[in-house]
Amino acid sequence: MRDMRTATTISIIGHAAVLLWSVWSLAAHPLDSPPADSLPVDIVTASDFSKITQGVKDAPKAETPKPLAEKVAEAKPVEDTTAKLVEKKEVKAARDLPPSPEAKPVETKPAESKPQKDSTAEKKPSDAKTDPIAEALEKSQVKPEPKKPEKAQADKTPVPPKKPAPPAPKFDPKRVEALLDKRDPARLAAAAETLSPAASLGLPSGRDAQLSMSELDALRARLARLWTPPAGAPDPRELIVLVRMRLKSDGTLAAPPEVLNSGHSPYYLAARDSAKRAVIRGQPYDMLRPEHYEQWKDIEITFDPRDMIRG
Amino acid sequence: MTSRAGSLTLSRRSAVVLSAGAAAGALIGLFSRRAGAVLKLDVTQGTIQPIPIAVPEFVAVATTDPAIGRNISEIIGSNLGRSGLFAPIDPAAFLEKITTIDTLPRFPDWRAVNAQALVTGRISQADGGRLKAEFRLWDVFAGQQLDGKLYTTTADNWRRIGHIISDAIYERLTGEKGYFDSRVVFVDESGPKERRIKRLALMDQDGANVRYLTRGEDLVLTPRFSSSPDTITYMSYGNGDPRVYLMNIETHQREIVSNFPGMTFSPRFSPDSQRVIFSLQRGGNSNLFVMDLRSKETTRLTDMQVIDTAPSYSPDGAYICFESDRGGKQQIYVMAANGGAAQRISFGEGSYSTPVWSPRGDYIAFTKQAEGRFAIGIMRADGSGERILTEGYHNEGPTWAPNGRVIMFFRDPGGGPSLYTVDVTGRNEQQVRTPSYASDPSWSPLLQ
Repeated sequence: MRDMRTATTISIIGHAAVLLWSVWSLAAHPLDSPPADSLPVDIVTASDFSKITQGVKDAPKAETPKPLAEKVAEAKPVEDTTAKLVEKKEVKAARDLPPSPEAKPVETKPAESKPQKDSTAEKKPSDAKTDPIAEALEKSQVKPEPKKPEKAQADKTPVPPKKPAPPAPKFDPKRVEALLDKRDPARLAAAAETLSPAASLGLPSGRDAQLSMSELDALRARLARLWTPPAGAPDPRELIVLVRMRLKSDGTLAAPPEVLNSGHSPYYLAARDSAKRAVIRGQPYDMLRPEHYEQWKDIEITFDPRDMIRG
Repeated sequence: MTSRAGSLTLSRRSAVVLSAGAAAGALIGLFSRRAGAVLKLDVTQGTIQPIPIAVPEFVAVATTDPAIGRNISEIIGSNLGRSGLFAPIDPAAFLEKITTIDTLPRFPDWRAVNAQALVTGRISQADGGRLKAEFRLWDVFAGQQLDGKLYTTTADNWRRIGHIISDAIYERLTGEKGYFDSRVVFVDESGPKERRIKRLALMDQDGANVRYLTRGEDLVLTPRFSSSPDTITYMSYGNGDPRVYLMNIETHQREIVSNFPGMTFSPRFSPDSQRVIFSLQRGGNSNLFVMDLRSKETTRLTDMQVIDTAPSYSPDGAYICFESDRGGKQQIYVMAANGGAAQRISFGEGSYSTPVWSPRGDYIAFTKQAEGRFAIGIMRADGSGERILTEGYHNEGPTWAPNGRVIMFFRDPGGGPSLYTVDVTGRNEQQVRTPSYASDPSWSPLLQ
């Protein structure tokens, strides 16, 4: 009996304790919800959208977005006036001409120099994007360095260099990521005039469309307005004409339009001439902005009237 | 030893892989450079609008008729303008006067008047009176000669020179064969409505040079050209029953094709002109027959208790289209040229009649009657793509231009019929001037 009372007391105390603990603990710890990320929302116009550069979505928005660049670009031989200024400056070293931020003399110079693959496209040895095949070669301690493909490669400039300068240890656990890098060794690093390891704001699919769709649409609209294709061919494929149009920076033709396909039927001849006439009459192409000249100086146009003939 | 061999193998393989990689890299580099350098653009919509063309007066050298240079350029300008595909520019706007065709025209002057094409020409007359005509067709914007030809002919043929040059320009700029050097035979109707005199008449496609082939004693109907531009077939009610005749339009010689009991209707030549197909009415029925013009042998193509009429050959001669009421209403059917099963191709509202196969083979023109209105339309040979080109109170009797892009027909708004042309887009309809009322036109093949 006494045992029973003891047991009852223990039981009551125990239950009370559990109850009290549960009440306290629930009251003390309210369920916390994970904090919702706030989404910055911008209103984007159609032309803004078409100008989205390649980049990462969550990168900080820069005032002047830089294109995503992983290596320094090869200096291109430039024929425009800025390049001439730079060259002049080189001759008259005494005069101090403020270099434009775009064209750096140091980088334009090596365009003429032969070993450009070493000087300009140099990479840090610890760079994660070192060629895995070259790594494997080092590992095997043999350096056959096939000269021929290397040379051919040097001509086709944009391939990353195959020559890692410092002799590496046989196996470096720090560089295991390089060995695990399964990307295509021939993958091209996005090149620009300066290295920018940080991605700029953009979309992975953004194609750096500096030449906006509105400019292209205006160009297309002008050609469509001036182009009067012959409509009657029994086989409308005869009417497709490929024209290459090379432009000067003022939007006029640098050369007569060059027809890239050929044909012999009278329909093709009429279609070809109508396309050429449209290209010539469209001058000057003032809807193309001069700052994008590099992109529109050479345009290949397919004139294909099949959609308008059908039906 | 093994390890050495192994390393050798590895290095060789690496070398192969490396060179392959380098090659691939070079290839990609090549492509990316090309893709990067050249911007690609597709233009899939153009504008259907007439090409502005300047046809200044031809330079006349030692011609008996001083106006012939201007007359020829006017014929060319009016031909091209009527086609709807060209917009001739008013000569008053011209800045340069063409005095020779042996030097380059001043293209900026022609660009200034918005000409895209320019025709310069010279016409000269030799002692014997024969005309020599030369022309050059210029692309004003490209600054290039597109075509240049020389023709000689007798002096009375000067209008044809204009038509032939028109055809050359038309073909060079549109890719289509021209149709200007052709003629039209039609039924000329004169006199009061109760006693209409109907004569067979012939004219150039632009309405010039009208000549009469019959005197008007007998009623004539449905003249049709053969594949040779100097032979026609037609129906005439001589004495009693109508008969099918052949006529040489140069010599006016004629012969009777058939002499059947009953009524023969709607004769038409086969594309090789060796046969004439027609319908023969007996009792309440009408069936199709074909006659070999050499052997005079007649073959029956249809044998039904219905009305089959208005047969027309496909340009390859393998098929015929015709109208038949075998389905209840008049509709268009297609069948093999030697008979057999016929397939109905018209399914729209109303009734369809007088189908005519285009010389290009792509369309069949027809007359369509629905809700009291008569329309001229075209459809493909399988019945698809039906398109009404013109519609009104009474349109009838379509005939194709030799290039299959223009249809001539007649329209009778009440007083009397006149001839019209419409192109296959239906956008360009024009009246053809005739001396009096005119009906039942048939367009010849090209004369040359």
